[in-house]
Amino acid sequence: MTKKVKLKISARLFKKKTRRNGNNGPKNCRFCSSAEQVQQLDYKNASFLKGFMTERGKILQSRISGVCCKHQRTLSSQIRKSRTMALLPYSAQYYNN
Amino acid sequence: MEHKVRYEVLILTSPEITQDEGKELETKFDKVVQSQKGLVVSFERWGKYRLAYPVRKNDYGVYFLARFEAESKDKALIEEVKTLFAIKLEDVVMRTVITALDAKQSLEYQRPRSLEETPPREEGYVRERRSDRPMMASNQDAPLGSEEDMQADVE
Repeated sequence: MTKKVKLKISARLFKKKTRRNGNNGPKNCRFCSSAEQVQQLDYKNASFLKGFMTERGKILQSRISGVCCKHQRTLSSQIRKSRTMALLPYSAQYYNN
Repeated sequence: MEHKVRYEVLILTSPEITQDEGKELETKFDKVVQSQKGLVVSFERWGKYRLAYPVRKNDYGVYFLARFEAESKDKALIEEVKTLFAIKLEDVVMRTVITALDAKQSLEYQRPRSLEETPPREEGYVRERRSDRPMMASNQDAPLGSEEDMQADVE
């Protein structure tokens, strides 16, 4: 039997592993901690919702914005609702004009 | 047991709507709601807005928010309101969405500033254009601060 040789991991592979396991403690959802913020979660409140969208008009992932999954679902549905009412764009083509 | 159910309708109309036509909308809405034994809570005109994308080839539009109450979950009332805005007034009203509200929820809400409320630009104000900024080799779709966050995790 050959001895199992532990190879040195390259820097690239190390970064890949840590990025996957990069949990820096529990996520702090801003909506779970304050009821005022939950009141702001409304499809009419387009300026507030815009903070959860990228420059291109896409909805931000919860692992980047730090929103818990329950509130991410509400947030996405409110963003999609205001998109149908033309308060928020579907894509940023018309933004930059 | 009678439960008061509250609904709100957000309407988007074409920008050429006049003040008289706006009042006509209100009276028609009042009539329809009262004919179905409902109660009108509020009818507000938000004002002219720049739309996020052109709707029926209009870049601007006027928003109205109407709120009404019913005794119980009344399908007929919602259907009447829907037919009023979506079908009967189809040439003026471009988009409409009806939402149910919590009875205990407060009636306050936040909305973006309309064009009539934004102050006019000062003279001599030059808007910085994207083409004037120095060219940077950056990821177009990166959300704010994400790349910095990712590098902080790795370190």
